[in-house]
Amino acid sequence: MKESKLMLIQYATAVVAVALVSIHLIMQGVLYPYSTAISFGNILSIYRNGLYALFLESLLVVVLVHGFNGIRIILHEWKQSAPWSRWVDLGTVLAIVASVGYGTRTVILAIFGGVSS
Amino acid sequence: MNSDGSGRAKNKRGIWGWLNPYHYNLERWAYVFQRVTGVAILLYVLGHLGDTSFFVGGPTGTGPSHSGWSFIGSIFENSFGHLVLVLVVLVLFFHGVNGVRLILSEFGLIFKKPGPIEYPYKARSLSSGQKYLIWVGIAIALAAAVWALLVLFEGMG
Repeated sequence: MKESKLMLIQYATAVVAVALVSIHLIMQGVLYPYSTAISFGNILSIYRNGLYALFLESLLVVVLVHGFNGIRIILHEWKQSAPWSRWVDLGTVLAIVASVGYGTRTVILAIFGGVSS
Repeated sequence: MNSDGSGRAKNKRGIWGWLNPYHYNLERWAYVFQRVTGVAILLYVLGHLGDTSFFVGGPTGTGPSHSGWSFIGSIFENSFGHLVLVLVVLVLFFHGVNGVRLILSEFGLIFKKPGPIEYPYKARSLSSGQKYLIWVGIAIALAAAVWALLVLFEGMG
């Protein structure tokens, strides 16, 4: 993918992340008291509401793509060579896939898994 | 002259150059903090992925787990953990507002028209609007940190 497109992705994810993170913080500290927001029952109800679950998954993807693409940009600023670029780009894709995968696993298990004590 | 014969200076300072504040102006500090806070936020997000996974029992869990969530709460739900969250909110808001400034400048929306370089050699492209936005970012970040402090430490005493 062209570097210009990757930078556009960086800016687009930044704008979306500002909106999504703001909503996330409002849910954690404005809509409810913090102690209620992090209670087991409240979090379970959030995960099991389809819209909220979709919101959390979007937040996960947008923030991780923005974050790892940002690291990629820093690493490209640091050093420039064709092999370095290839490894950095490959590492970025792998890091995004692994971290989004792990986060998505949490979302899926929270929605469909059986509750244990 | 370089090995490639170009005569260009090598990028010898690299990312360590961020830490050398000699001749830094406000925009340069904002540049450094944007990157430092970006790396810090990513590290926090990765940690947050790890701690929220304990809601489903951690890496080997199979579903929502009261004991897993209580375990992770016993580690992070204390004054130190809340102080870390206040710092996260501080850098998050600075990164967000300063990031919006960078996007606006990237698309040329807050640049002045370039002109001849004259004494005292200040870049005309760096409009006062950019400087104001940096200070706005700092002010919003501080206000958000105070808000987080009040939310997180409410009822702890």
